[in-house]
Amino acid sequence: MSAPVLAVSTLRTYFYTRDGVVKAVDGVSLSLDRGETLGVVGESGCGKSVTALSIMRLVPSASGRIVSGSIRFDGKELLTLDSAAMRAIRGNRISMIFQEPMTSLNPVMPVGNQIAETVALHQHLPPRAALDRAVEMLALVKMPEPRRRAGEYPHQLSGGMRQRVMIAIAMACTPTILIADEPTTALDVTIQAQILDLMLEMKERTGAAVMLITHDLGVIAETAQRVVVMYAGRKVEEAPVKALFARPRHPYTRGLMTSIPRLNRAPDESARAHRLTEIPGVVPSLIDMAEGCTFAPRCPYASEQCRVAFPPEVEAAPGHFVACWNHDALPEMVRA
Amino acid sequence: MIGGALLLVIVLASIAAPWLGTVDPISIDPSHRLRGPSADNWFGTDRFGRDLYSRVIYGGRISLIVGLSVAALATLIGLAIGLVSGYLRAVDAVVMRVMDGMMAIPAIMLAIALIALSKASVLIVIVAVTLPEVPRVVRLVRSIVLTIREQPYIEAATAIGTSVPRIMLRHLLPNALPPLIVQATYICASAVLIEAALSFLGAGTPPEIPSWGNIMAEARPYFQLKPWMVLLPGVFLAVTVLAINLVGDGLRDMLDPRLARRM
Repeated sequence: MSAPVLAVSTLRTYFYTRDGVVKAVDGVSLSLDRGETLGVVGESGCGKSVTALSIMRLVPSASGRIVSGSIRFDGKELLTLDSAAMRAIRGNRISMIFQEPMTSLNPVMPVGNQIAETVALHQHLPPRAALDRAVEMLALVKMPEPRRRAGEYPHQLSGGMRQRVMIAIAMACTPTILIADEPTTALDVTIQAQILDLMLEMKERTGAAVMLITHDLGVIAETAQRVVVMYAGRKVEEAPVKALFARPRHPYTRGLMTSIPRLNRAPDESARAHRLTEIPGVVPSLIDMAEGCTFAPRCPYASEQCRVAFPPEVEAAPGHFVACWNHDALPEMVRA
Repeated sequence: MIGGALLLVIVLASIAAPWLGTVDPISIDPSHRLRGPSADNWFGTDRFGRDLYSRVIYGGRISLIVGLSVAALATLIGLAIGLVSGYLRAVDAVVMRVMDGMMAIPAIMLAIALIALSKASVLIVIVAVTLPEVPRVVRLVRSIVLTIREQPYIEAATAIGTSVPRIMLRHLLPNALPPLIVQATYICASAVLIEAALSFLGAGTPPEIPSWGNIMAEARPYFQLKPWMVLLPGVFLAVTVLAINLVGDGLRDMLDPRLARRM
């Protein structure tokens, strides 16, 4: 396998607040190969978005800081780049799609100009040519009447159309990496599928590697080749998507999967036996985390050892990493 | 609409002053002092025999020049300071304390002090009236920037590699513009008033240049005998300020989508 295009190793991003240090990302390592789609899943507040912002070096500087670790993009260390060099990468080599298409576009600027801005910035095209390129991009993201829509303001577009514009902005400079931070969360279900399809199509067209951040395992199953599961600022499991769904090895991943409602239940099974399970408890406060495994307080299989030390990451099967003391001892998962 | 029409008339009259039946506003005629209104001197003459109508029409030039220059200068300076102060936290605290300090001094006092330090001229009046207006613009722009900068689209703009000055000019400025234009009209009106007040107090436009303020000041001793000498320039002043304010309100209704009902 060739060298990964993005290699994050033991990244720690902390936020210094009045109440203490929030360890939003605490020693996360992950890598992204050229052209692959990596899914990053986890509950709200588990550090998915902060990981993405750290890669873009956009952690809010007022309280947040990347404490240690390394982020290598194409062999270059991003954490030591000066701001001008970083600006040349943002939107050009690595671009990002945000969760909120409603508010991620400037309301007082026509959308065409907002796409053109990226192009003009990174490809140094004159304004006219940049605008033409913007119209092309709108056509690529299947915006009806691209030339007319380019002159419209965000409030004249629907949520799905705005997310198409966001994709057009992100893909305008054919980036090497596309980070999509919950790109479909704010959209309704029918539009979600369209936007995901569009993203994958754009990815195929440009050969970009995609880091897809979501809390929706269904989205992961449909789109990703590999999955990273995060919990409370740490990576707890990493596996090829098939292996993960076939045999999740971390209790947290299992919890996530069993808490998804299923439609294909056999009719004779009693409803009671298949009551939707949940993960008891809530995500721990990231401020004063206990010693040991962060998931231990919520874990049905937790043992003494779990409360003492955080488990090391082991390769349980080829390409399947898990950080759990008891991953071998887990009972077979009962599938609905 | 009415405001715009009124303002247009006043502006045109000031520009076209030499062709509106006026004579030289500073030519003295000792044999025709303190005359009442007549066919020759529509508004009468002052204590040096100067034609009051000509003085009032020419005086409008000074008022409007001061008003417009102050509005433009204060808006530009305030906009620049406000954008930087609102977006860059490092300079914000220092800039805002300086602005607070400037706002603590009454505008007229500050202007009088500045004029006392130098020779009376229209330029000095403009500078003196502009300075106290700047903090108001800075505060307005800063407050807008503070709300806009937290919007996700600013983060998104940063994420595509936009530089800080570009974010200020392309993303923050257009959002701040509509309320700023409205504020500029109010500043213009208030500048016209402050100029008149300064000239009335003898601290403004030098006496050889007629302005509504110093025409009224010169007429003050004769107010009981010949009240029109004060009232006529006063009416012009009031109508002008009213017209500018009406234009400001009209612009506000037009530019603020939340208030737009008819358009």
